[in-house]
Amino acid sequence: MEVFVGVGDMKVSNDPEVVLATYSLGSCIGLSIYDPFVRVGGILHYMLPESSLDLAKATRNPYMFGDTGIPLLFTEVYKFGAKKGRMKVKIVGGAQILDQDGFFNIGKRNYLILRKMFWKNNVLIDFEDVGGSVNRTLKLEIGTGQTYLKVSGGGTRLI
Amino acid sequence: MRRIEHIIERIEHLRPFSQIGGRIIEISNNPDCSFDDLVEVIKYDQGITANILRICNSSYFGLKKRITSIKQAVSYLGIDEVVRLAVMENSADNFNEEQKGYDLKEGELWRYSVSSAIIAQELAEKKHIGNLSLVFTSALLKDIGKLILNTYVKESFEDIMELVQDKGFTFREAEQKVLGIDHAELGARLAERWNFSRATVNIIRYHHDPEKAPRKDPFIPIIYLADSLCMMTGIGVGSDGLAYRYYQDVVDRLGLSDTELQKTISTFLDKLRGIEELITVSGGN
Repeated sequence: MEVFVGVGDMKVSNDPEVVLATYSLGSCIGLSIYDPFVRVGGILHYMLPESSLDLAKATRNPYMFGDTGIPLLFTEVYKFGAKKGRMKVKIVGGAQILDQDGFFNIGKRNYLILRKMFWKNNVLIDFEDVGGSVNRTLKLEIGTGQTYLKVSGGGTRLI
Repeated sequence: MRRIEHIIERIEHLRPFSQIGGRIIEISNNPDCSFDDLVEVIKYDQGITANILRICNSSYFGLKKRITSIKQAVSYLGIDEVVRLAVMENSADNFNEEQKGYDLKEGELWRYSVSSAIIAQELAEKKHIGNLSLVFTSALLKDIGKLILNTYVKESFEDIMELVQDKGFTFREAEQKVLGIDHAELGARLAERWNFSRATVNIIRYHHDPEKAPRKDPFIPIIYLADSLCMMTGIGVGSDGLAYRYYQDVVDRLGLSDTELQKTISTFLDKLRGIEELITVSGGN
């Protein structure tokens, strides 16, 4: 059963029948984490780096922002018995429009906030496919932990 | 026959807009349009009226009262908003179709078009640019060329992608190089043929190339930026991805700060659930 993760959204599951899927990752980041030992995983799809932009919106929807969404994703899977040291961490997205090198490069900033938080909290990345000017789709099979990436204009591959 | 001639010849046969649709778009381009103008056009078409009312009653507008007539809709939402809904009602069917060449499933191009039109309208309001209906309608219709070019993009997809991936072409430039015409230019020619306003034709033609547009046109930078923001959200984006050019100086000229741009995105996402319903209801699903 496919469970859809929207833009600015997060889903966590331990149901082996569930496939978490998030589409339309442009400059957004899709973060997938999975603990194979307890077979629990989740996907976060955030659009903007920092919640300081608008705290009221961040309170209403913490998954819109990297700095509020990322800790919540980990907290939620920990509730199901997942452990950080066992976690498979995969990130995709963070694309940019061509020549978008200036300050307003949300894709890059979405990626940097994640790297900063992971470095502070000793989280290692197992796979990443970020940047470029492509649109991406990310899927996580809870039963097997297999993760799939589809890049616009190309096929789907196991990552 | 050369390919480009073949593509252009197809314009002759495409009729995405009914006669009523054309007149609704004309009305939407007129900043002084009135309730009577709209009613005059749609009064004989029960279907259009029913669909407009359906859209009015979607949760996007959050109206407490159920709207049962166009007159009531106008009194609650204002004439401009109702005209915009009429344009949506009239465009949805064509844009809703699957576009295989662009790897867009059914409903995706419509999702993209409505999303970028909503963002364009918000930016135009922020910059106090008048004629919001013109901005909304033009943003909604700007990818109309894709409806025709889709078939040809599909046939030549590998050649187009090779230029994009290996040679640094934008998707539009690659369409132009491989097919002889790109979706923006083709859309503009369609719009000319259907007697859309000069402003709308220009918006469609230059929506990826704002630096080539007439400098004093106030709408094109807004619609260009809205399109860029929409691409970044990834909503309804297809195989062309984000492979278009970002013109920092065009964005700078609008004088919107980085924070304002991020807030535009966050406001859009904040309303996303309502917007999704608007997209679904207007798309007839």
